[in-house]
Amino acid sequence: MDKIVNDFTINIATANGTGSQSANLILLQTLFDMGIPVSGKNLFPSNISGLPTWYIVRLSEHGYQAPGDRTHIQVLVNPATWEEDLASLEPGTVVIWNMDSKMAMEREDVISYPVPMTKIARGLNPKLARMIANVVYVGVLAELLGMDQEVLEEAISKQFGGKEKAIELNAEAARLGRAYFTEELTKTDSYAVEARDVEKGAFFIEGNEAIALGSIFGGIQMLGWYPITPSSSVAEGIISWLPKLRTHEGKATYAVIQAEDELAAAGMIIGAGWAGARGLTATSGPGISLMQEFIGLAYFAEVPCVFWDINRVGPSTGLPTRTQQGDLTMVYESSHGDTKHIVFIPGTVEECFEFGWKVFDASEKYQTPVFGFSDLDLGMNKWASRGFEYPDESIDRGKVVLTQEQMDSIENYGRYRDVDGDGIPYRTLPGSGLDPILYRGTGHDEDGTYSEKPDVYYKLMQRLGRKIDGARDYLPAPIIKEDAEQEIGVIFYGSMENTIDEIEDIVEEKSGKKMSTCRIRALPLHSEVEAFMEKHDKIIVVEINRDAQLYGIMRKEYPLHLLSKMLSVAYSDGMPPRGRLYAERILEVLEEAEI
Amino acid sequence: MSEKRVKVVKLNVINEPKDSYTGGKSSLCPGCGHDQISNVIVSAAWDNGLQPHRIAKMSGIGCSSKTPAYYLGKSHGFNTVHGRMPSVTTGANVVNKDLTYIGVSGDGDSASIGIGQLIHAIRRNVNMVYIVENNGVYGLTKGQYSATADVGSKKKKGPVNETQPIDLCAMAINLGCSFVARSFSGSKKQLTALMKAAISHKGFALIDIISPCVTFNNNDESLRSYGYVKDNQAELHSVGYIPHFSPLEQVEVPAGSYTDVTLHDGSTMRLETISEDHDISDAVAALSALHKADAEKKHVTGILYFDGEKPSLDDDLELHDTPLVEMGEDLLRPTSEQLDEVIASFRG
Repeated sequence: MDKIVNDFTINIATANGTGSQSANLILLQTLFDMGIPVSGKNLFPSNISGLPTWYIVRLSEHGYQAPGDRTHIQVLVNPATWEEDLASLEPGTVVIWNMDSKMAMEREDVISYPVPMTKIARGLNPKLARMIANVVYVGVLAELLGMDQEVLEEAISKQFGGKEKAIELNAEAARLGRAYFTEELTKTDSYAVEARDVEKGAFFIEGNEAIALGSIFGGIQMLGWYPITPSSSVAEGIISWLPKLRTHEGKATYAVIQAEDELAAAGMIIGAGWAGARGLTATSGPGISLMQEFIGLAYFAEVPCVFWDINRVGPSTGLPTRTQQGDLTMVYESSHGDTKHIVFIPGTVEECFEFGWKVFDASEKYQTPVFGFSDLDLGMNKWASRGFEYPDESIDRGKVVLTQEQMDSIENYGRYRDVDGDGIPYRTLPGSGLDPILYRGTGHDEDGTYSEKPDVYYKLMQRLGRKIDGARDYLPAPIIKEDAEQEIGVIFYGSMENTIDEIEDIVEEKSGKKMSTCRIRALPLHSEVEAFMEKHDKIIVVEINRDAQLYGIMRKEYPLHLLSKMLSVAYSDGMPPRGRLYAERILEVLEEAEI
Repeated sequence: MSEKRVKVVKLNVINEPKDSYTGGKSSLCPGCGHDQISNVIVSAAWDNGLQPHRIAKMSGIGCSSKTPAYYLGKSHGFNTVHGRMPSVTTGANVVNKDLTYIGVSGDGDSASIGIGQLIHAIRRNVNMVYIVENNGVYGLTKGQYSATADVGSKKKKGPVNETQPIDLCAMAINLGCSFVARSFSGSKKQLTALMKAAISHKGFALIDIISPCVTFNNNDESLRSYGYVKDNQAELHSVGYIPHFSPLEQVEVPAGSYTDVTLHDGSTMRLETISEDHDISDAVAALSALHKADAEKKHVTGILYFDGEKPSLDDDLELHDTPLVEMGEDLLRPTSEQLDEVIASFRG
């Protein structure tokens, strides 16, 4: 039987809160440190303890990072999902299962490796048996697949950084798992791992922590937040790094407030922006829903502030621990009345860092709320990175008038007067004594005075429209990879970046068709997107939602001749995008369009 | 030139005329209590010698929240959204702790839609003056009862109110608010002294001011009409204020008994006993005074509760002395070496 090396998917079914997350991260880190292209997806429940959790580890020589279509190796620990998990496996799947779980192995067409995980763990430490049992399966996998023990132990020591007792206990549990496999079982499957050249300096980081760091290097001054999955780790990342990175003379150069709700969090960052500081909040869809009124105020009164939406599955409470791109339209057009907002859409952890600081510059430059749009998949899973680039531009505070001299040099100053013709007015700050006004959410003229006059309102709204529209080519340009034929162009965004290569390969394998791709990184859409559309015969917009939200935005904004070539593939089931599902849908729409 | 009459302009301690503290023309109903309060804000800020541009005037939505346009024209302001002025002020306050924040709100804004934000601003002890212009009705939407309308009170149109009101002062005392006062827009002297003291206080200073709505709730059956409140006010004490720049010893000593309270900026609040002593550090006494007045259908006024020691939010955050808004890139953006260290820590 030919060996299958570094190209398979492991699914680990455990119960939440049993310490399995540590064991799974040790497994992921070990493979990563052996230089094997690997990705990990944590499918966790909205629960602290007891409900089912799956961890998917995919090894792929192609570098595919999506969860894959099927499971090749199943680890069964959780009795609650045992039968269903077992039933879903294809014949020939490897199953490593806990003999002590009082569940039966009722499939005969799988490769079965029974392991007394709990018993082994109990022998080592009865009190912590439930936790250690997880590392026993890591040991079994290590032996089964041929992982390096030294690398595994290093990964354990990384996971439990500094806690000697825990490191020793877990290392021993892994050794016992290995020993059990060697002594009691015989390998009859063909899966194996082989070390590859380790990319120097590569490391794992979650998107949310990358955003947190980017925010700090972007000069965040005020964080107002309210806990909500899957965004909390953005705020918590900021909170954990701030004291190390932003203390001056032993005192804080920042303020953090955990607000009473999302409305207050929004109010606080708007207050900070009004006063002249960089305020940020991180939330998810339900939080943005609650913040809508305030977002309109910041848009209309032209107050800089930054909102990160780490998208989870809606509507309503939805699937709080699953991933989606279902908030795109909401953030782009947040609040009542005519509004439109700048949205940064990172697709990699490097971009999470980069956009983490850039959002502040954009927000102050355009004096408007700016959104960062990520999702649970990118935000809460660990992704490999080579490093982050230090900001290559100075902090841009935008058109802030700080002195009387500056004020005197502006002809016909008014807080809301378009002096430069770019739709962006000048502003002064509270406490400066320079041309104070009463900011308001009501209609106002160019001097900020209350007005209900038709022409005043009309002109104001036109200017605001022009202002945001003018940001298009200032914002990150799309990443375009063009195929020579320029027949099919795929437009996508955000975390789909991590599945698109696999989608392309599957489409080509099945149809022989090559596709150009264009990853959008911001709204409003960059002019290069339109140019990309012009060049290609058919455009397919691929996204992780039901209603084809980006497709809808594009249909609203682009000229008629482009609309006729636009097709949509929008699909969402809560899971991180799997390549085959999207590839098949792309092939279907191409067939319908007779291409 | 010689024929022109010389007008003597009175200046305050920082040599500013009172005109530097006034605002635009009010568009409220003639006789509205809120306009009296606006005048008191102007007088207090002028008398206290605040620099007009170092004041931030904050408000929510409603008749009361329109008033920042009518005072302190040289101050920046923010007329925010309904009931949400506390959070906006909180955010501004922590990034620029050196400004004087004067928030103005109404009973709809504070006791209904915004009660959560009010509660949490009190809980955090945000350093601000929080004025409630309390008339028991929604004015801008034409006279619906608010959550502070007294049981048994009747507004101009509609039935008698039977729903239990929320007493914002009692609520604030229970939350440990560091400065809780009630006053009446018709009691200019008391209100001015309380306003000045609230400005001198560091922490959250709540002044719940009964401010009759002349259009919808000033009829005889109303417990918040101008006439009723005037006749049924129970003053806890007579409130005086001696600014920090006036030597205390040069102020005439009252004939009766009195208590001096030193405020954060060195000013003094002088409380003269009227009939019986009220201990402003005693929360139980404060609540008792409120309940007693309520039973007698009276409005107790004066300073109910005070705690000058409680740290304010900006203290709790251990902020650098330089306000955050005055910091440049050198303090706000860590160095590239720091980024290298961060990345190294991930590489392990």
